[in-house]
Amino acid sequence: MTAEIQIHELFKKYPNGTEAIKGISLEIQKGQFFTLLGPNGAGKSTLVKILTTLINKDSGDFSISGINPEMNQSEIQKIIGVASQDNEIDPTEKVENLLIFQGRLFGLTKTEAAKRTNELIQLFELEKERNKKASVLSGGNKRRLHCALALVHRPCILFLDEPTVGMDPVARANFWEVITQMNSRETVTIFLTTQYLDEADRHASEMALIVDGVIQYSGTIIDFKKKVNPNSELSLDESYLQYIKALSNQELTKN
Amino acid sequence: MNTATILLIERGIIKLLKNPTAPIMGFGMSLFFLLVYNAGIGGIGSMEAFGTGGYLSFVFPITIISLAMGSSAGAGQTLNADMQSGYFKRLYLSPAPRWILVVAPMLADTVSSMVFTILLIVIGAIFGVSFQFGFISVLGIQLLSFLWSLTLCGFSAGIMLRTGQHQTAAIVTNAVFPLLFLSTTFLPRELITANWLLTVSWGNPVTYILEGNRYLLGGTSSANFFYIGLLIFAITSIVSVIFALTSANKIKV
Repeated sequence: MTAEIQIHELFKKYPNGTEAIKGISLEIQKGQFFTLLGPNGAGKSTLVKILTTLINKDSGDFSISGINPEMNQSEIQKIIGVASQDNEIDPTEKVENLLIFQGRLFGLTKTEAAKRTNELIQLFELEKERNKKASVLSGGNKRRLHCALALVHRPCILFLDEPTVGMDPVARANFWEVITQMNSRETVTIFLTTQYLDEADRHASEMALIVDGVIQYSGTIIDFKKKVNPNSELSLDESYLQYIKALSNQELTKN
Repeated sequence: MNTATILLIERGIIKLLKNPTAPIMGFGMSLFFLLVYNAGIGGIGSMEAFGTGGYLSFVFPITIISLAMGSSAGAGQTLNADMQSGYFKRLYLSPAPRWILVVAPMLADTVSSMVFTILLIVIGAIFGVSFQFGFISVLGIQLLSFLWSLTLCGFSAGIMLRTGQHQTAAIVTNAVFPLLFLSTTFLPRELITANWLLTVSWGNPVTYILEGNRYLLGGTSSANFFYIGLLIFAITSIVSVIFALTSANKIKV
C-alpha cells in the first residue's frame, strides 16, 4: 500500500549555509494522526514548508497521495490544508467574506462557499465576529479564523504547524475536538508539529523526532515511551525530555 | 481563465476601489497638468509649432503619462500589504497559479489606469482637446497608456517584491519623473534651443509616447513616433512583467 505521505532522502540547505534537513525519510499512512516533534530549529517547519510546496527541496523525493507536489502544485493544494504558526489573514476583510473567498478560491460555488462558511463559523464559535473585520478580532479569534480558513475546502491531509499557539484553553479544546473528529470520522490525515507535547500525546498516535535535521525516531508514541523508559509509564513530555537529554549527553561524550 | 484567477483579479480591483489613494493621486496630478499648464502658458499654443490643436492638445499627453506615474505604485502596495499580513502565504497555498498572485494586482492597477484615462479623455474633449482620427485616436491613446502603465506597474511591483519595502514601490515613479523634463514635454522640438536636450530627448522613451500621442491628437508629430512608441513600450511591458514574475520567486514565504 502506498503511504499518504512518502518522503525519501530529503535534503534542504538554506543559502546562508544552514543544513535544515539532512536526508529525512518518512512514511505516513492515510488517516494517521502523526506528529513531528523536535526542539526549536530542528527542521520541523522547514519540512512542512517543503511538503506544502512553500519552499523547494535540494534533493530527495516526496509524494502526497501518490502525487509529486512539485510537479502538480495546484492539485496538491486542493487536497491539503495548512495552518501554520502565523496568522495568515487579510485584516481589512470581514470574517465571513474571508471564509467565502477562501472557499471560492478552492473551487466551491457561491452557495457551497456560503454554506461551508456557516458551518465553520459555528464550529469555531465565530458567530459574533461574522461581520467584523479581521483586524479587530482578539488574538484567540484570529487563530480560530486562521484555522477555519485552512479547513474550508475539506482537505484530505492537514498540516498543522504549531496551530494552537495563542489560543485560550477553551478555543484550544474546541479546535482539537474539530480536528480529532475530522481525523476519526473523515479519515483526514493529520501532520502536526507542536511544542505542546501534552496535545500531541493526547491526540496523535504516530510520531517522529527530528533533531538537527535528522530523524532520531519514528514510530508509535507508545513505542517511543517504552523505548525511553521500558519500566515505567511516562508522559510524552517526560519521555521527550529524557530522550533529548540523553542525546545531548551522547553529543557531549563524542566531543 | 480559471475561477481562482478571475477571483484574484476581482480582489485586486476591489482592493483598489476600497483604497483608491494611488489612482486618485495620479488623476489629481494629471488634472493639475491639464488645467494649470494650459491656464498659465496656453497662450503660446497659437504658435504654428503647436498645430491646429493648440496648447491644450499639445499638453494633454503629459496628463496621460502622469496618470500612470501616480497610480503605478498601487500594485506594489497591495502586494506589500498581503505580505505584511501573511495573507500572501495563504493565497500562495491556494490552487491559483502563483504567477497570477503578482499579475492580478498589476492588472487591477492597469485597469484602473485605463478607466481614469477614459475619464481624462472625456474631460479633455470637453475642454477642447482635438482627436485627429476620432475614435481611432482614442483607442491609440488607450493602447499607449496601457503599455506605459503596465511597464510602470511591473517594475514597481518587482522592486517592491525584491526589497520587501512598500516605500520602494514609488521608486519607479521617482526614477521616471526626470525623464519628463528631458523630453519634448512642454515645448515642441522646433522651439527647444538647447542641442543637448534635443539629443537626449531622442534617446528618451518618454519622447515617443508623448509624440505618439501628439500624432493622434493634434497631428503635430509623425506616425513613426506612434509606431516606435508602441514597439518600445510593448517590449518594456513584457520585460517589466517578466521582472515582476521572476521577483515573485524571490519572495520568502
